[in-house]
Amino acid sequence: MILRFDDVGKSYVGTRALEALSFQIDRGEIVALLGPNGAGKTTALEIALGLRGCDRGSVQLFGTSPRNVAIRRRLGVTPQESGFPDMLRVEEILTFVAEHYPAPAAISETLAAFGLTSLARRRTGTLSQGESRRLAVALAFVGNPEFVVLDEPTTGLDVESRRRLWDVVRRTGAGRSILLTTHHLEEAQALATRILVIDCGRLLFDGDPDALRRRVGTRRLTYLGTDGPVVVTTANTDEYVRDLVDSGADFSNLEISQPSLEEAFLSLTGGAK
Amino acid sequence: MSALILLRAHTRIQFLDLLRSPGYVVPTVIFPAMFYVLFDLPFARMRSDVANATTLAFIAFAIVGVTLYQFGVGIAQERGRPWERYVRTLPVAIAARFGARIVTAMLFGLLTAAVVAIVARALTPIDLSLAQWLTVAFYALCGGIPFVLMGIAIGYWTSARAAVPIATACNLLLAFAGGLWMPPQDLPAFVQAVSPYLPTRMFADLLWSVTGSASAERALAGLAAYTVIFAIAAARGYRRDERTRYA
Repeated sequence: MILRFDDVGKSYVGTRALEALSFQIDRGEIVALLGPNGAGKTTALEIALGLRGCDRGSVQLFGTSPRNVAIRRRLGVTPQESGFPDMLRVEEILTFVAEHYPAPAAISETLAAFGLTSLARRRTGTLSQGESRRLAVALAFVGNPEFVVLDEPTTGLDVESRRRLWDVVRRTGAGRSILLTTHHLEEAQALATRILVIDCGRLLFDGDPDALRRRVGTRRLTYLGTDGPVVVTTANTDEYVRDLVDSGADFSNLEISQPSLEEAFLSLTGGAK
Repeated sequence: MSALILLRAHTRIQFLDLLRSPGYVVPTVIFPAMFYVLFDLPFARMRSDVANATTLAFIAFAIVGVTLYQFGVGIAQERGRPWERYVRTLPVAIAARFGARIVTAMLFGLLTAAVVAIVARALTPIDLSLAQWLTVAFYALCGGIPFVLMGIAIGYWTSARAAVPIATACNLLLAFAGGLWMPPQDLPAFVQAVSPYLPTRMFADLLWSVTGSASAERALAGLAAYTVIFAIAAARGYRRDERTRYA
């Protein structure tokens, strides 16, 4: 057992951030904590990392309190925002973080894995947003920890950089347990072996990506027909396309897309009723 | 990891950060020596007893300024940053981080004091033996402790914006009233009345005791009392920040 939340509740002045949240992460799992802004992801993560305490319930990290300094040697975390001390160089920050761990990865290997080799001597203040995010994710792995927590690892990246970072996380993350937060359904499905969906501080879904896809079965299908653009939401795009082709109607620009997270939530909350 | 490795790692990044901010470091290191040349040199170059007294007072001024700034302003600016939140997730005890701050401030303070000493050696008939200089260095470190704690208290009780003017005001007022810039007997009468009770005056007395012109015992007792007061203020400020930011 890596991390365990038992009936965890947390309120801030006037608002309830978490409500009786329970889940457990076991060795080797890659778990995505998925939810819109304000769902309680950050609060759950801060409690898991010992940055905050909880009002109710209990949290165990490696079988002990997350506020125990010694167990953090088995934990690697990404800084959420890329606010590094801007006078330091990329390799200096990596070395600094690596020195906290008993058996860290080689700095040169980490630089290479995250595409930072040519930036090793650059000061962090001069990095682009994409480069900063790569450094932030590299910091979670450089200590060679058992459990890696990635807090919105690809926020602010374009599609291509995001996919490249996913590849690196998959490769470097092999053999570790990972918890990541995201508000991209696609990111959760690309990386995770298990997805937890939370909203308003409650767990709405806990299962593997295929189960989520089945639960949120609908796809959005758009095309340009003879009378103008058509948008269809359907659970069975294959059948719809077959019928469309068989009908002999003229169409172009056919696109099938994932439902947005908002649509997924609608169907999840609808399913719970 | 062993506490020493972490102390070294945290001290190193603080030093790197300082070394790469010459616009901050150079004026900070030179400022007390410059003040010394402008205000006290005309008197100090005449007589060696005056040179001794004024140089020792400016060594105290150098240490006080650096520690108040390093801690007060440094902590106030850093404690709200995302990087600070991140470092709290690393396996490092808070003691190692404070330790690194203390080592950095003390070395930086001694460097600033050394510039004052070098200027005094070059331009005045200052008359201290090697043994006396070593005692001065030791007392300078001991006397700096309450100011380190005062700086930590300022850092936790003020906002990033307020820290600079508050640290500056504390530094300049305490330096003036504590008799670091001019002999205490030349201070205005009402300042002379409070001066003996100020931590800066006690720090100066501690250093002046090296030449026998003040009592080390009384100064040490007073500085110990201030150490307790500022330690309580610093600890309460730290806990207040913990409660509001990481409850």
